[in-house]
Amino acid sequence: MAKKEQASCSSTANLQPTLSQPHPSAASAAPASPQARFRYLATMVVYAVLILNKAGGLIYQRDFNPGLQKLSSNDYLILAGTFHGVHAITSQISPTNDSASSGLEVLESENFVMRCFQTLTGTKFLVFAEPRQPNLDVVVRRVYELYADYVMKNPFYQIEMPIRSEGFDRHLTSYIKPHQ
Amino acid sequence: MNRDPSPFRTASTASTATSPTPKYANLTASTNLRYSLTRKSIYDRHLNRTKTSELSKSAFAFLFGEMVQYAQKKVYGVQDLEKKLNLHGYAVGQRFLELLLWRDGRTAKRETRILGILQFISHQLYRAIFQKQADTLEKVRENDDEYMISDNDPVVNTYISVPKEMSQLNCGAFIAGIIEAVLDGHCFPAKVTAHTAPNEMWPGRTVFLIKFEPEVLEREALRVGS
Amino acid sequence: MVVYSFFIFDRHCECIYIRQWLDTTSSATQPLSRPVTASSATTVAISVVEKPTSGSKLSMAEQAKLVFGVIFSLRNMVKKLCGPDDSFLCYRTGQYKLHYYETLSSLRFVMLTDIRTESLKSSLHQVYVNLYVEYVVKNPLSPVEHGGGEGVNNEMFELGIDSFVRTIP
Repeated sequence: MAKKEQASCSSTANLQPTLSQPHPSAASAAPASPQARFRYLATMVVYAVLILNKAGGLIYQRDFNPGLQKLSSNDYLILAGTFHGVHAITSQISPTNDSASSGLEVLESENFVMRCFQTLTGTKFLVFAEPRQPNLDVVVRRVYELYADYVMKNPFYQIEMPIRSEGFDRHLTSYIKPHQ
Repeated sequence: MNRDPSPFRTASTASTATSPTPKYANLTASTNLRYSLTRKSIYDRHLNRTKTSELSKSAFAFLFGEMVQYAQKKVYGVQDLEKKLNLHGYAVGQRFLELLLWRDGRTAKRETRILGILQFISHQLYRAIFQKQADTLEKVRENDDEYMISDNDPVVNTYISVPKEMSQLNCGAFIAGIIEAVLDGHCFPAKVTAHTAPNEMWPGRTVFLIKFEPEVLEREALRVGS
Repeated sequence: MVVYSFFIFDRHCECIYIRQWLDTTSSATQPLSRPVTASSATTVAISVVEKPTSGSKLSMAEQAKLVFGVIFSLRNMVKKLCGPDDSFLCYRTGQYKLHYYETLSSLRFVMLTDIRTESLKSSLHQVYVNLYVEYVVKNPLSPVEHGGGEGVNNEMFELGIDSFVRTIP
């Protein structure tokens, strides 16, 4: 009864980077154990996590560390809608001839880096973090996993609606800020 | 006789009036779901075969989630919903007890003491369903007829976050129903309810409160006296 | 590394310069000038042949509009999220990377490259300082405003851009 399902993702190759372990001790521990993952994330500063549904509506927004401006909930909704549109255009202006082009995946600015991951069903996960974070893919993947577990499997969640799941909040916090 | 009001009669005439459905005409042995030609249906398997097999937790979570949603459609209020879940669990428990005792074979015995049956539930039954023992088994100090079995992280609640407006709800009511059925099956009629009792380590800790009917205590007293 | 295209937008949000380079490694229309070996796919391949617009999915003018829409939105998004001091640097998709550099005079330089390219912020700054200022701003024949790209597409600037793109590591 303890089998964990693997959340499917569109760009598997991109989301399974080589894990450069910061501590040799972490590498020696079983990589699948949650403790190892927590220890691994302790050095990373994640500012915020946003989740957009397939229509571009914001269904989850949470700040974890100071670093981004505080916006009103209305501004966040506008931002999500804008990003949804931009994401669609970025895949259209691809200069290469590949038909299957993905939209924006990583956005960098002077003060933060943002990783966007779009699932096959169109849900987008945005993770904002300190610049030069090498393993945001791992974080985004774990957020997706938690979403699949604690949001989609919750019978009280209405699909495409804002996420109000205490279990999701709790697990996300313990993953992103394990020591606080 | 022409105007026979019997519903059976009208039903049969109605069916002959329309063209016979080809669904039944085509049903041969090869397409029959219940009796497969290869005899590989689940009814042909030995009952012990699934004893140690594991179930996908995700599959269970989705199924249970749908069950909760379905139960939610026809109820008024949290208590009603818990009762519904309890009934679902009761049906499972009745059948599961039969299977459990059958699997025990000759070593199976019917518990006749309160402590015995509670231990059976928190050990054998819990192990058979969840592959672990219940975390504690306690007696309620104030009341003689109440006992508590606690589970730090009930499997059914793993992925469930109860919304604030339903904070009284605990979907562990399903397990409570199973426990109730097992108690009933052993002739220990009782009411079992699930309550959320979080602590620092275990935010999802659930306590199953077992309240025996008075005749159970009466019988127990007679046995102790003899 | 491969440079796909290069855009300059002026402070009126108008596209005043477009340049597109053909990526010979992925193009079927361009006849191969050298034998394909295992290593040729990884070597730097930049051709300065103008790409025929009929072959691309969108016309260059349309693409420039879309590019501007994207950088304008992202720039505003970044400023909203991180305050007016922050600036948008680049983004990457599965296929390409877009580098962005904005001068204080609201000139915007945009370069599309392959995804392995490192940050081109300083390179685009060099384009501005060493090429744009030298050959466009200081050119006495060039007008102050470059409506329709007038004054930017002079020979010196074009040659400078070409040789510059070759030197990008």
